[in-house]
Amino acid sequence: MECVFGLVGDGFALVVADTSAVHSILVHKSNEDKIMILDSHKLLGASGESGDRVQFTEYIQKNVHLYKFRNGISLSTAAAANFTRGELATALRKAQRQVFVANPYSVNLLLAGYDKDIGPSLYYIDYIATLHKIDKGAFGYGSYFSLSMMDRHYHSGMSVEEAINLVDKIIMEIRSRLVVAPPNFVIKIVDKDGAREYAWRESIKDVDASPAAMA
Amino acid sequence: MGSRWSPYDNNGGTCVAIAGSDYCVIAADTRMSTGYSILTRDYSKICKLADKAVMASSGFQADVRALQKNLAAKHLTYQHQHNKQMSCPAMAHLLSNTLYYKRFFPYYSFNVLGGLDNEGKGCVYTYDAVGSYERVGYSTQGSGSSLIMPVLDNQLKSPSPLLLPAKDAVTPLSESDAVDLVKDVFASATERDIYTGDAVEIVVINAGGIRRESIDLRKD
Amino acid sequence: MTIFVGGFVFQFDGFQKKAAETMKHAHGTTTLAFIFKEGVIVAADSRASMGGYISSQSVKKIIEINPYMLGTMAGGAADCQFWHRNLGIKCRLHELANKRRISVTGASKLLANILYSYRGMGLSIGTMIAGWDETGPGLYYVDSEGGRLKGKRFSVGSGSPYAYGVLDDGYRFDMSVEEAAELARRAIYHATFRDGASGGVASVYYVGPDGWKKLSGDDVGELHYKYYPAVVEQEMAEVTIA
Repeated sequence: MECVFGLVGDGFALVVADTSAVHSILVHKSNEDKIMILDSHKLLGASGESGDRVQFTEYIQKNVHLYKFRNGISLSTAAAANFTRGELATALRKAQRQVFVANPYSVNLLLAGYDKDIGPSLYYIDYIATLHKIDKGAFGYGSYFSLSMMDRHYHSGMSVEEAINLVDKIIMEIRSRLVVAPPNFVIKIVDKDGAREYAWRESIKDVDASPAAMA
Repeated sequence: MGSRWSPYDNNGGTCVAIAGSDYCVIAADTRMSTGYSILTRDYSKICKLADKAVMASSGFQADVRALQKNLAAKHLTYQHQHNKQMSCPAMAHLLSNTLYYKRFFPYYSFNVLGGLDNEGKGCVYTYDAVGSYERVGYSTQGSGSSLIMPVLDNQLKSPSPLLLPAKDAVTPLSESDAVDLVKDVFASATERDIYTGDAVEIVVINAGGIRRESIDLRKD
Repeated sequence: MTIFVGGFVFQFDGFQKKAAETMKHAHGTTTLAFIFKEGVIVAADSRASMGGYISSQSVKKIIEINPYMLGTMAGGAADCQFWHRNLGIKCRLHELANKRRISVTGASKLLANILYSYRGMGLSIGTMIAGWDETGPGLYYVDSEGGRLKGKRFSVGSGSPYAYGVLDDGYRFDMSVEEAAELARRAIYHATFRDGASGGVASVYYVGPDGWKKLSGDDVGELHYKYYPAVVEQEMAEVTIA
């Protein structure tokens, strides 16, 4: 089951997500990247129904790009988070008026970004449009493990090495304690040099598990 | 707790169609019922849509009639635009799209379409209520279909058109044998299906045109 | 059972429930597709059932969108048939407007976006779009919940877990076309053997640089004797009454 979590460290923020695409008892794919690179300095980790997840994150990404095209400057992380929250909130109320579309976007998001003057930041946005600035957070079944472990081991000003050690600890805990644990994870990071993929943690090595084979 | 009002009813009825190498037989009983009541004993379920396309429909009579009128109107427009009768394969496609157009409030009608294709070969198309369709050698729809289909399979089963290398899939029966088979399956279905009976109307299409006949069935 | 129809809510019961079920027929299905060295293999069974009744043994579940692209059908027969036909039209229009064939990525997204716009309205589709475009072989899974996944190997339908079992075990990227077709055929056969809602004819298609080609169509009843050789039964012996 879905696991998305993230934290803020010293001069960087990172987001981790499982990479399983599940339908009832079947794993259709074990290398589905659920962390979108929103723009040069923003990451958007998402969990939720597959259709909504892809449609909504792509919509946000395209609008963030549109803003930059129109105005010549990028949205700050806080502005992007507030925009995302706003879109979720309007969609939510639109759904209430319609009889047959129950929930327009069932997506939970972690938005990580780096701003020149502010530094790294992480925002929690859930499907009912709750917005909260945090320094560590999680969604899905994995959150039961990751939240407590981050409470125990997280401290402000963590180095990348410390953070990755913690992330690996959490991944191992999820794999060993969660019944329906996903096998593979992707870790992405954002700092002053931009948003990028940091590493994959794969325990299933099949033909379509390695991202290189997909390229 | 009374059940909610519904825009649908089931008027029963059974339809059969068989395609041969140069003919097509389309048949349906003429009983119309609702629940345990028989409304009429001589209601024709067969509708001529074009010179070489005939449709038999069971299900909800009001929807069937609406569908027939809709198709007739579209065929009239087609004739004005193209100055010719629609072919059976074209009508088959039109029927599919017409049914799917009402995907979220379907016509409660179960149809078989029979006729001759552009080479003069017999063709049968079978449908579900929302327009999925398939060209087959023979088919049956309606309340007696589950009694009749196994008999047709037994008597007519030909190699599947999906087989590769392909095998010849034409129904081996002559026209008169096919008509006799249709009479037999209706007589049998009438014995076990309360919604089938009274009479069977048989339409035969071949190079000579369209011929209709009617045979009495049990009326109980 | 409640069916939502154009803003009104109808309670369906008895035969009306049956009518609603007929819309969802062909739910029991096995389809699969995978990418390998030479291109894409697509395979499917041919059974359509309504509850326990087999409504057809000759359904064409592999839909030929154009000479370079195939779609598979699982879920509502009419939904799949109609929207694949619709996709075929859109792909041809794209070709005429841009003087080049649409990519598999583009075609699958066209379909996914349509299905996403109908989400929550009861369409039932689980399909794979497989084909060959300028970038080589392509394979996507698209469903009526709006999901769209790129991948190398998929199976969809009630028989898919059985098919995956055979497929995952026998898959190698560097298979020949013959080996790949044999694996696909076997996977479909084993799914029809265990899944009551799958059966009929196992069709296998191959899509390569020159477009698709149907490689085989075998009655699974006959494949049985090839793939499941009977063990020599114990000889019946006369019981001697003492």
